[in-house]
Amino acid sequence: MVFSYDWIQSFFKSKLPSPQKMAEDFVMHSFEVDEIEKRGSDWILDIDVLPNRGPDCFSHYGIAREYAAISGRKISKKEAKLSETGKKAGSLVSISIEDKNDCPRYSARVIEGVKVGPSPKWLQQRLEACGLRPINNIVDATNYAMLETGQPLHAFDFDKLKGKGKKEITVRRAKQGEKILALDDEEYVLNKNVLVIAGPEEILAVAGIKGGKSSEIDGRTKTIVIEAANFNPTVINKGSKEIGLKTDASVRFEHGLDLKMAEIGLDNAASLIADTAGGEVLSGRAELFLQKAFPKTIRLDLSYLKSLLGVEIKSKEAEKILSNLGFKTSFSKGALTVAVPSFRLDVSLPEDVIEEIGRVHGYEKIAPVFPETAMIPPQKNEDAIWEDVCKDLLKSLGFFEVYNYSFISEKDLKNFRFNSGVLELKNPLSQEFKYMRPSLIPRLLDNVRENSKYFGEINIFELGKIYSKGKVSEKRCLAAMLFQKSGKDEQFYKAKGVVDWLLGGMGISEVWYRECRSFGRLFCHPKKCADIMVSNEAVGFLGEISSSLQEAKGVSGKTVAFEMDFEKLQNISTQEAVYQPVSKYPAATRDLAVLVPFGTKVESVLNRINAVGGPLIRDIDLFDIYEGKELPEGKKSLAFRVIYQASDRTLSSEEIDSLQENIIRDLEKDPEWQVRK
Amino acid sequence: MAKVDLELLKKEAEKEIKGAGDMAMLNEVFKKYLGKKGELTFVLKSLQSLSKEEKSRIGRRANEIRNSLKTEFDEKAGLLKEESRKKAEQKEWLDITAPGRKPASGHLHPLTRAIRKTNDIFQKMGFQIVLGPEIETEWYNFDALNIPCNHPARDLWDTFYLKSGSLLRTHTSPMQVRFMEKNDPPIRIVVPGRIFRHEATDASHEMTFYQVEGLMIGKEVSAANFKAVIQEFFSGFFEKPVKVRMRPGFFPFVEPGFEVDMSCLVCSGKGCPVCSKTGWIEMMGAGMVHPNVLKAARLLPRGEKGAGWQGFAFGMGLDRLAMMKYKIDDIRLFYANDMRFLSQF
Repeated sequence: MVFSYDWIQSFFKSKLPSPQKMAEDFVMHSFEVDEIEKRGSDWILDIDVLPNRGPDCFSHYGIAREYAAISGRKISKKEAKLSETGKKAGSLVSISIEDKNDCPRYSARVIEGVKVGPSPKWLQQRLEACGLRPINNIVDATNYAMLETGQPLHAFDFDKLKGKGKKEITVRRAKQGEKILALDDEEYVLNKNVLVIAGPEEILAVAGIKGGKSSEIDGRTKTIVIEAANFNPTVINKGSKEIGLKTDASVRFEHGLDLKMAEIGLDNAASLIADTAGGEVLSGRAELFLQKAFPKTIRLDLSYLKSLLGVEIKSKEAEKILSNLGFKTSFSKGALTVAVPSFRLDVSLPEDVIEEIGRVHGYEKIAPVFPETAMIPPQKNEDAIWEDVCKDLLKSLGFFEVYNYSFISEKDLKNFRFNSGVLELKNPLSQEFKYMRPSLIPRLLDNVRENSKYFGEINIFELGKIYSKGKVSEKRCLAAMLFQKSGKDEQFYKAKGVVDWLLGGMGISEVWYRECRSFGRLFCHPKKCADIMVSNEAVGFLGEISSSLQEAKGVSGKTVAFEMDFEKLQNISTQEAVYQPVSKYPAATRDLAVLVPFGTKVESVLNRINAVGGPLIRDIDLFDIYEGKELPEGKKSLAFRVIYQASDRTLSSEEIDSLQENIIRDLEKDPEWQVRK
Repeated sequence: MAKVDLELLKKEAEKEIKGAGDMAMLNEVFKKYLGKKGELTFVLKSLQSLSKEEKSRIGRRANEIRNSLKTEFDEKAGLLKEESRKKAEQKEWLDITAPGRKPASGHLHPLTRAIRKTNDIFQKMGFQIVLGPEIETEWYNFDALNIPCNHPARDLWDTFYLKSGSLLRTHTSPMQVRFMEKNDPPIRIVVPGRIFRHEATDASHEMTFYQVEGLMIGKEVSAANFKAVIQEFFSGFFEKPVKVRMRPGFFPFVEPGFEVDMSCLVCSGKGCPVCSKTGWIEMMGAGMVHPNVLKAARLLPRGEKGAGWQGFAFGMGLDRLAMMKYKIDDIRLFYANDMRFLSQF
């Protein structure tokens, strides 16, 4: 909100420091100052009044009062001088309020015989300095009084109000579909969430937001009614949103207003109008004052003040600060009793009073002190530890970590055929970010597409939340994507090796793979896709992204991905490795090449070798899969290196040879399998 | 047996060892004197035909000579090997200016690095790392934090709502209450995590970003304590001593509330274009935990009865910290996942 330096100065007898110095004081003790700008001979300060301080600081008087308190100066109050006639305002206007919660106070003054015309130059300049357009001496006076006191006011042309004799003004909720042509020449359609000021026949104004055209002040206006009300902040906030209009008045009402401010604002405007537009101010106010504010008293223990701020502030200083801010205080038995002034709607707790004392005293005077606490080491966070372990493992394998948005697009929901379990946003930023991701894969494919413009090989991973409807609405998930522009099936085994290495690094054993029956089928080539199993549980999938999805996402190349439920992985992981003694006896290796039909799984051959070899086989490595012209049609060659070792003796070569013979005999029981010799 | 002049033999052998130009020649010399049919071996073999006295005299001498020759052989062999190694090395050459082969190295996201660094520093100060849900309820995200329904303050947080009725947390602060409900004070926690704001993105705004929340609750935890802890954090994070100042700020879940500034990293507080000549950079919001927040977590606030709990809380943007640390000028780079960007971390 912008404030005029000259206007602030007008509340002080002594000369104020420069606007720059004033801004520094505000920044350290009250509010940020966004800008200081010279305008004519005046300076404009754009002060970022904190939201809870609107009630007392959305006015020049309030800002001046604040500055007086933080700089230790005396402020001089300007009392409005008003001469009233004998005739009573209440004899011309009557007021009724539908619900006192919507409007605890409504006051009005009446002035007869005004001459509408332009306001004096000095007044116009002040309004313009604060960004308001001068209109005429009546409207300008109400605006001026608002800028000075913080109380929004509105003037009606008395003669334009309907009804003979006494005019009736009602504060009520609008009916569904009621309309008003407002002063901005816009028509607003209202509903029951909007509070209005109404005459017997028509709506005169949208309460606290905008006046209506029907009772506008014009050149022929003779008698005016000036309104100063106090509306429920929530109602004004809601109404302003309903009709999409924010005004200088609505902003002030939304933040709340001192109930006592109505009469001050009224008198301020009335005396100004009497000065600049002539006319006679009728005596008293037409008024309904239905809800009074109770004076607040707070007890503040000075030991709490010291403990919470960590700095000692003497009771004398605390009392002086509070009194400069308009609080009344008394001190006894180590505690202050503080009476809060009516304009400080934000102060109701001892902590609020501590803030007042602390900020004026100066937070910069608080010296840093390390807390005195028990030397208990913090409990470790297992989740964070395992995330780190996993990320480091993938980094060591050459993977780039990515962070994607948690949202996916409408298009991807269809592309990936995600089902109804997907969470939808009520207010998405755009169609691109409409659903909560049920998988990390769609965005990873985007990453691959974008990066494939510059890189032929891409290895990326993400560890983040995925979301779904139901009891567990979010869980951590680990996914990686391996892309090669001109890759072969080898890419699948590379990814599988990464999964093995990763799970090994997390201390997870008993890992195996089965034909994919899970979620992965949505993403993958039907024959190049597997579930990743640990014991009897599927923890994720591994597979080549289907060509239809690659096409839909604009990716061309060999793309293999895996995605795993990180919560499951963490549950079965073990951090401590257990040492297996190395056998003291020598190991012997024998190679074994088997010719099998194309569709035979490596695993079934391995299982047979293991079954026959038993505990004397320490390890079997598949070192080659070969399919080529030299081989019979429909066959492939699998080459294994079998490592024999016993833990209790040296195996004789006869023993090993006979084992190997047994294995070969067993393998060849299958008529389609042939061991190459 | 033929009489052999041992001393002469020694002299000649030594001469030939010295004269051997390469290993092949040296081996020949070895064979000639010390091999199975070598001259000295012959002497030793023929000893049995001599008298006992001579046997012992000549035998001892012959053995002495054999040992001394062996030593000389070894030394000469060492010299020759060294010589040939040097010769060979002279022929070999490597262009040490040719580029090294890059190992296929991976990269952690800069935000991961910033989070780890943050966690490390706070853990050393006794803060426990706690993580929380990204999908939140109105209660934890707003009400429990003293932001009542219909309060205009709610507009300060542009919120994404789900059709299911939940919302995406707009800050990491909900974990304050979630943690306090389940754990008795004293409490020291930090909560790093992803948060969401319903706003258009530009170089300094994102709809998704990361925050770290801090909370310390005890019997005498003060604003002075906060200042010390946070000054220590910034100094550790930016690896240079920095100063911290607090100004009045307003956040419904703290009272008093602070805006926290750090002395400018570029000019150390003297004033420069980076800090708009103020010497300070705005870093985060903080304050002393509001009694209503303690009450929402069913803890007794000290302000009420004169005995109970108090403490500080803060929340800062990790993206901003990372941007300052790595001199990144556009927050959107964190979520664009361009490998040319990521490979620099």
